[in-house]
Amino acid sequence: MAVKVLILEDNPVARSFLCRVVRESFSDANHITEAGDLETARRHISLAGGASGLHGVDPFRLILVDLELPDGNGMELLAELTHYPATKIVTTLYSDDDHLFPALQRGADGYLLKEDRFEVLVEELQKIVRGQPPLSPAIARRLLTHFRHGSGNDAAPDSGFMNATGFTTSRPVPIEKPLDHERLTPRESEVLTYLSKGFTIKEIASLMGIKWFTVNDHIKSIYKKLNVSSRAEAAVLASKQGLV
Amino acid sequence: MGWRLRLLVLAALLGCLGMFSLVRWVAASGHLDASFEAAADNTLVLTGSPLPALRAARGRTVVALVTPDGTRLALDGLAVQRSPRWQVDDSRRVAQVIEQEQIARTLAGGRVALQFAGGASVEVLTPARGYAGLGLAFWPLAALALLLFLVGTVVVLLRTQPRNLLYMVMAYAQAGTLLFIAIGSVRGLGPPPGAAAAELLPRLAFDLFTVAAAVHSFALYPRRVPGAGVIAAAAWAAAASLLLLAALGVLPAVWWCAQALVLALGVVALLVISASYRIEANPFAAVMRRFGLIAVGTLALVSIAVAAASGQNGVAGLVAAIGPIAWYLFFASLLLLAPFLSHSKQLLREFAMLAGISTIATSLDLLFVAVFSLSQFTSLTLAVFLALGAYAGARQWILNQINGNTVLTTERTFEQLYRVAHEVQEQPAKHALLLGQVLRDLFEPLDVLRVERAAPTARVVGGGSGLVVPVRPARDDAARPPLSLVLRFARRGKRLFTHEDARLADRVVEHLRRAVAYDQAVERGRSEERLRIAQDLHDDIGARLLTLMYKAQSPEMEDYLRHTLLDLKTLTRGLSAAEHRLSHAAAEWKADLTQRLTAAHVQLGWALEYDRDVRLSVVQWSALTRVLRELISNALYHAQASRVDVNFNLAGSRLSLSVADDGSGHDPKSWAHGLGLGGVRKRVKLLGGEVRWRANLPRGIVCEVTVPDFRGKS
Repeated sequence: MAVKVLILEDNPVARSFLCRVVRESFSDANHITEAGDLETARRHISLAGGASGLHGVDPFRLILVDLELPDGNGMELLAELTHYPATKIVTTLYSDDDHLFPALQRGADGYLLKEDRFEVLVEELQKIVRGQPPLSPAIARRLLTHFRHGSGNDAAPDSGFMNATGFTTSRPVPIEKPLDHERLTPRESEVLTYLSKGFTIKEIASLMGIKWFTVNDHIKSIYKKLNVSSRAEAAVLASKQGLV
Repeated sequence: MGWRLRLLVLAALLGCLGMFSLVRWVAASGHLDASFEAAADNTLVLTGSPLPALRAARGRTVVALVTPDGTRLALDGLAVQRSPRWQVDDSRRVAQVIEQEQIARTLAGGRVALQFAGGASVEVLTPARGYAGLGLAFWPLAALALLLFLVGTVVVLLRTQPRNLLYMVMAYAQAGTLLFIAIGSVRGLGPPPGAAAAELLPRLAFDLFTVAAAVHSFALYPRRVPGAGVIAAAAWAAAASLLLLAALGVLPAVWWCAQALVLALGVVALLVISASYRIEANPFAAVMRRFGLIAVGTLALVSIAVAAASGQNGVAGLVAAIGPIAWYLFFASLLLLAPFLSHSKQLLREFAMLAGISTIATSLDLLFVAVFSLSQFTSLTLAVFLALGAYAGARQWILNQINGNTVLTTERTFEQLYRVAHEVQEQPAKHALLLGQVLRDLFEPLDVLRVERAAPTARVVGGGSGLVVPVRPARDDAARPPLSLVLRFARRGKRLFTHEDARLADRVVEHLRRAVAYDQAVERGRSEERLRIAQDLHDDIGARLLTLMYKAQSPEMEDYLRHTLLDLKTLTRGLSAAEHRLSHAAAEWKADLTQRLTAAHVQLGWALEYDRDVRLSVVQWSALTRVLRELISNALYHAQASRVDVNFNLAGSRLSLSVADDGSGHDPKSWAHGLGLGGVRKRVKLLGGEVRWRANLPRGIVCEVTVPDFRGKS
C-alpha cells in the first residue's frame, strides 16, 4: 500500500522540489498530496480521517509543513495536529531557534532547511523518519533552559544568543517544581549539554561511553518530553481560561 | 497618646511651673530702681535712676544704706559685682556674698535712705520689683534656659541611652546656669534674698558636671574609645571631689581650682574625641572636636581675661562680668545645636558662627581692656573690627568645613551622569556599582556598603554620619532583591550628611534611572528597526533566491545561489542578534560544518581553544562565519578533499584560524582570486588581521588567518 504524504508549501517550485526529495527518500511507492495553503491542507486532512486521525481509514503518514503560508502560519496546523498519527516535519528557510523551537513544542518531529542541497535534504528526511530528529546547538541550548526553569518561562523568550548576556542564570528557579514528565534525566541533560556545545552524535556516544543509537533514543525522549510538557502547559492554560 | 509624649508634656508643665515660681520669687524681692557702678577705687557710684529724688544725685558716690530704724549698711563696689562663681579672690567673694545678702534684707523693708559721700542723704522707696521690673535680659535668658531644659528632655525621651542621658545632664546644667545668670541680670540694686549665697556651689556643680559629662559622652560616642570607663570615672571623680572640697569650705582659691579643672577636663574631652576620630573617621567626631576646640579655647580666653581683671573695678570689672555670660550663651547655643547637626539649615549654621565670633569679639575686648589697659571705647571698637575681620575671613572657610566645598561642578556631575548612564545601559548588572561611583565622587564617603533593603527615598541616618540611597534600576525587576547603598562619613569623615545631600542623592538616582530608560528606549527602537529590516530581507529576498536556486540551470549556479542565500541568512541573523558568545558561535559553526561535510562524505577535524569565552560583536561573528563557510566550500567543491581540519585558537587577544584540506589544490600563489577568496580577504581585513594560503603536506592547501588584536566585548 502506498504511503500517503502531505506537502504544504505555497511556492510551487519549492513544492515540486520537496516532492522530488520525498520520492528520492523512500523506496516504497508513495502517494503525495500537495497543498498551497492551510485551507487546502485542512480539507485534505479531514478527508483523510480528521485532525485526530482516530477514525481515519488511511491517514497521512508524513506531513511536511512550511511555516510562512499565504493564509496563516504552519504552526497553527501543527497545533491542530498534535494527536495526528503522522511524522510531522517543518520545512523552512528559518534556521534560528526562535522559529524552530515553537514548532518543536507543537509536536513537529523534525525540521528541514529548504536551502540545503538535495542530497542533504534526502539524508535528513530519512533520518527523521527513522527517528533521528535533528538538534542544532542553539536549539539544544534553548531546550536546556526550557527544562531547567520549568516550562512556564517561555513568555520571556530567550533565544540562543540572548543567553550570552547571562540573564537566564540570574533568573530565580520557580518555586513550583516541574512535574516528573517535564524533567530531564541526568543522561538526557548530559546529551543536551554536549549537543549545545556542537558535538556530533558519534562524538557524544564515545564521550559518554554509550552506543550512538542510545544517544539517539535520548534525543527522541527529549523531543517527546518537550512535546508532552508543552501539551500539559496548553491544557493548564486552556482550563485557566475556561476553554475546557 | 504615647508615654513619651505624656512624659514630655509633664516635663514641660513642670518646667513652666518651676519657671513661674522662680519669676514670682524674683519679682517679689524688693529693689532700688537705680543703676550703680563700681569705681576704680572700689566705691559705689550712682550712674542713673528713673526716681526723681535720685536724679540730682547722679555721679555721686554712695557710701551707705540707712533703714528707717537707723541700721546703717556700708556699701562699696562689691554690691554690684555680678557672680560669686566668677569672683577670683576668695576673701572678696565672701565679702561680696555677705554684702549682697545684707542689701537684699535691707531693701525688703520697703523704705531706705541713701547716704552719699559728703553727708547728703536721700530717702527712697524700695518696693517689690514686679514682673515688669525684671529687666530686658531676664526674659530671653529664662526662655533659653527653658528651651534647653525641654530639648534635653526630648532627646532622652526619644531614645533613652547613655549618651542621651549625658546630653540631658549637660543641658540641665546649662539651663541652671542660665537661670542664675538671668537672676543676676535683674534691673536695679537688690538681688533676691538668698540668691548670692546659694550661687557658688550649684554653679560650680553645673560647670563641673557639664565638662565631666562631655568627657564621658565623647568616650562613648561616636565610638567607644579604649578605657572609656576609666576615663569617664576619673572625670566624674575629679569633678565630684572638687565639688565636695568646695562644699566643705576647705578648698583654697576656689575659682582657680575650678577653672583649672574645667579647662583640664575640657582638654581631656578634646583628646578623647580626637582619639575617637583616629579610630573611626566619623564626621560627627570631627564636628564635635571643632566645636569643643572653640568652646575650650574661648573659655580659656575668658578665664585669662577675668583673672587679669580681678580686683579691678570700673570698666575692666564690668567687661569681665559680661565675658563669662557671653561664653555661657555661646556654649548653650552649641549645646542646642548638637542634636540637630544633620538637620541644620543654613540659618542655624550662620547662627552658630555668629555666636562663636561674637564670643571671640567679647573675649578680645576683655583682653584688650584687662591686659593693655585700653579705654572701654577703644578696646570695644578694636575688638568689633577684629571680630568682623575674622568673621569675613573665616566665614567661607568655616562654611566649607561644615558643608565641604563642592568639588564637583554641575557640569562635571552632568558629564559623569551621562557617562555612567551609558555604562549602566551596557551593563545593567553593574547599576548599583556605577551609582555607587557617582555618589562616591559626589560625597567622598569613607565607605560604601550595599544592603538588601528597599528605601522609598534617600535619607540621613546616624545623626548625619550615614546616608542611605535606594538603588532603582530602570527596569523594575521584581525578582531582583531591593538594594540600597549606605554611604558612611561624607568628605572622608570630615562632614555630616544633611537633608540637602539626601535630596541631591535622590535627584541623582532619578536622573540616572531616566537616562538609562531613555538609552534603553533608543536601543530598543534601533534593534526593532534592525529586526524589521532583517525580517524583510529574509522573507522577500530569501524566498526569491530560493526559487532561483531551485530553478538553477547548472550545479555551479545552484551552489552560487545557495551561497548567496546562506550569506543573506548570516547577514539577517547578525542584524537581529546583538552579540554572540564565542562558545555558542563555535558550537553552531561546528554543527553546520559537520552536517555539510558529512553529506559530502568528508571528514572533519575540529580543534577549538580559547582562554576566554568572549562575546563576539555582530561584525566579528558574521565575518568569522562567512570566512569559515567560504574556506570549507573551497575545500569541498574545488579541491575535492576527503578531510578538512579546522583549528581555531584564541590566546589573549590573538586569534588564529587555520583550515587545512588534503584536496587537489596546489600552488596557491598562482590562484586567480575570484569572488570567494576576495571575500575572505575582505572579511579578514575587516577584523584587522591577515590571511595567507600555503601548500599543505603531503597534499592540499592550508589557509591561515591571524588577527593579532582580536578583542571581544569582554
